[in-house]
Amino acid sequence: MQLTHRGGSARGKGASQQVNWVTIIWTMTAAAALTLAGVHGFVWLRQKRQMASLMFCLMAASTAGMAGCELWMMNLADMQSYAHALQWYNLMRWLVTLALVGFIHFYLGSGRPWLELTVCGLRTLSLLLNFIFSPMVYYSSINELVHIPFLGTQVTIVEGIPSPLSIVGQLSLLLLAAYLVDATWRSSLRRDKPGALRVGLSAVFFVLALSIQMMFALWGIIDMPIVASLFFTGIIVVMGIELSEDMLRAARLADELRIRESELREERKLTDAIFESAPGMLYLQSATGKMVRWNSQHERVTGFSNSETSQMRAEDFCVEAEREILKEARSIALAKGGNEVEFDLARQDGQMARHFFRMVPVDIGGEPHLVGIGIDVTSQRALAAETEKQREQMAHIARVASVSELSSSLAHEINQPLAIILSNAQAAQRLMAHEQPDLNELREILEDIVTADIRAADVIKRLRSILRQGKPVLESISPPTLFDQALGMAQSDLKEAGVEVTRRHSKKLPTLQADRIPIEQVLLNLIKNACEAMQDNGSREKLLSLSCVNEGTWLRFSVRDNGHGLHGNNQEIFQAFHTTKPNGLGLGLTICQTIIRAHGGNLWCDRNKSHGATFHFQLPIVPENL
Amino acid sequence: MKQSETVFLIDDEPALLKALGRLLKAEGFIVEAFESALAFLNAPRHAGSGCIVLDQSMPEMSGMELQQRLVQEDSALAVIFITGNGDIPMSVRAIKAGAVDFLTKPVKDSELLAVIRMALKKSKEMLHSKAEFNEWKQRHAALSKREKEVLVSVAKGLPNKQIAKELGVVEQTIKVHRGRVMSKMGVDSLAQLVIMAERLRLK
Repeated sequence: MQLTHRGGSARGKGASQQVNWVTIIWTMTAAAALTLAGVHGFVWLRQKRQMASLMFCLMAASTAGMAGCELWMMNLADMQSYAHALQWYNLMRWLVTLALVGFIHFYLGSGRPWLELTVCGLRTLSLLLNFIFSPMVYYSSINELVHIPFLGTQVTIVEGIPSPLSIVGQLSLLLLAAYLVDATWRSSLRRDKPGALRVGLSAVFFVLALSIQMMFALWGIIDMPIVASLFFTGIIVVMGIELSEDMLRAARLADELRIRESELREERKLTDAIFESAPGMLYLQSATGKMVRWNSQHERVTGFSNSETSQMRAEDFCVEAEREILKEARSIALAKGGNEVEFDLARQDGQMARHFFRMVPVDIGGEPHLVGIGIDVTSQRALAAETEKQREQMAHIARVASVSELSSSLAHEINQPLAIILSNAQAAQRLMAHEQPDLNELREILEDIVTADIRAADVIKRLRSILRQGKPVLESISPPTLFDQALGMAQSDLKEAGVEVTRRHSKKLPTLQADRIPIEQVLLNLIKNACEAMQDNGSREKLLSLSCVNEGTWLRFSVRDNGHGLHGNNQEIFQAFHTTKPNGLGLGLTICQTIIRAHGGNLWCDRNKSHGATFHFQLPIVPENL
Repeated sequence: MKQSETVFLIDDEPALLKALGRLLKAEGFIVEAFESALAFLNAPRHAGSGCIVLDQSMPEMSGMELQQRLVQEDSALAVIFITGNGDIPMSVRAIKAGAVDFLTKPVKDSELLAVIRMALKKSKEMLHSKAEFNEWKQRHAALSKREKEVLVSVAKGLPNKQIAKELGVVEQTIKVHRGRVMSKMGVDSLAQLVIMAERLRLK
């Protein structure tokens, strides 16, 4: 086969010895590709998981190989060597293609596996065909090797009729372009790689450009040597830049991560301090009660060591009887965003301590957890119990006081008829001693004795009913009789104080369902208070007015006086031990309020516009047919 | 035995008033009953001796208030309190104000009658000492100026010599004055004269 020089003057071997553009460009291309390969190879060695770097390294290294082969081929003169070099070149192409597919696979992670396999398969087929159909698969017949001028120097190219089999190589290139377009598209949709579009599109561009150039060169439309390595170098440069940016980004991320880590460490220190500074136990537990984190107070209170606690559940710290309560409280806390519960904490030494717990749900690692605090309330509960006991004692004292007050006023009531009886009887005795006793006088005396005796018996009956023990007995009472009874009992006080009493109520009032005696006591108490309030009225007439009004669902009783009025605000008046009387216990109104409330009613007071105060109480009207 | 002394009953309880009245009438007392202190005050005042059986707790005017009025009037009527529910401070106040006793209802007849008799006796004494006092007052008024001066000095316990020196006369003159004072005031001893001067507050 002849080596033909075409066009221009052939400068022969001598020219190839000179340093020319072709040598410079291809050598530099190979050197740049090798450098990049080295850099990323090094990166891969440091970080074996960076498969994209390995692929890039392979691709860059084989691109350098391609560039070497191309330069070699451009300077060959015989067909034999050319074919030999072309086989090496095809091996490099195969490697480059595979590495490119691999790179996209690992870097973008969005390639369709079947496309990847097809591209690699076609390229492999093309390589195999090339080996089988030696010297060259691209041409069905090769005319000659020709020298053409290229970039100011003479280079060797092949001229011949392209083989139909060469379509396999072209197809693999187009398929590679399609694969790249697809992977880029899918990656850009995912938006996880900011450089995906740049890498993908530039690769597509260079691959398509290469494909076109190859076709033109193959079909002899233009006379050009094979310059595929330049296109792949273009791809490599773009990819290299992208990888470097990735590395820079990674470095930035690493920095940020370090900062975040130190922040997290401080945050952890802070939460640790918060855990420790809590006034009681602070804990974090899983939704099922498994203990996750707790403070040292927890160990101190429960007596269980940290290693024991880590094996325990929250309910293990709870006395057996209350475990279900705790479990329920936990599920409510998880469902409703927080809860509070109180139970006896079972300590390791077998002792118990009442604790109040408050818990709030928090998601940790995607799992619902509860963070909470537990405070020892043993002393508070003991105090509350003590207070309750004292309150009961006070109530007892109040009852005793009201009974003793009552009995002293009743003693007066009883003494009066007794005095009448005694004096009458003794007068009769003395009359009997006379020689002619006046029988009419004696009869009158006896009548008076009977009357006084009945009066005493009534008083005693009332005393007994007041002191009666046990449950309140509801009976139907007509409101006017309540006034009658209360005024009857207060008679001596009213008389002594010189109070003028007026009563005001409509004739048709519904009957009440109530315990008679306590309600009478309330009225009596209010009347007595009114009398005392009017003690210092001086020249002002002492007026007491009682009224009862039907308010629909309520009956309202009012006791109005024109005395000195109220001292202290309305709440204070009804508080136990609030008193304005020099010898008062300050329990009367408190007891009254208790009685009225027990009947489902209300007791309150108003200041009168002119003088004095009015006390009201309401009692519900219960339909009689109920 | 028949008695003609008067007992006043004041109580707001008519039935008791009636019963006590019967009792006292059976014993021969003259009984005057009032249902309130004001009714008693409005009635014509009794001049002789007598006693009041007084209920402490009454409307309008209490027994204690009435007692104070009587003290102011310098009445010779003795007061006995009778009450349904008296306490110790109340009874102490009543006794200090001159009450004979402070009884609690119901009262036994023997006890009541004993106290009434004691009260009547006291009333008579009061009436007597009132009369005596008035007599003394009149006699004292009848003394000359110089005699009154001598009386005051003698009552102070000064010897005649010193009195003479103070009044600027001789001792003999004082002796004459002194004898005249004794006879004019109707006393026999120096001791009686001193007591009288005391009662008349002549110091």
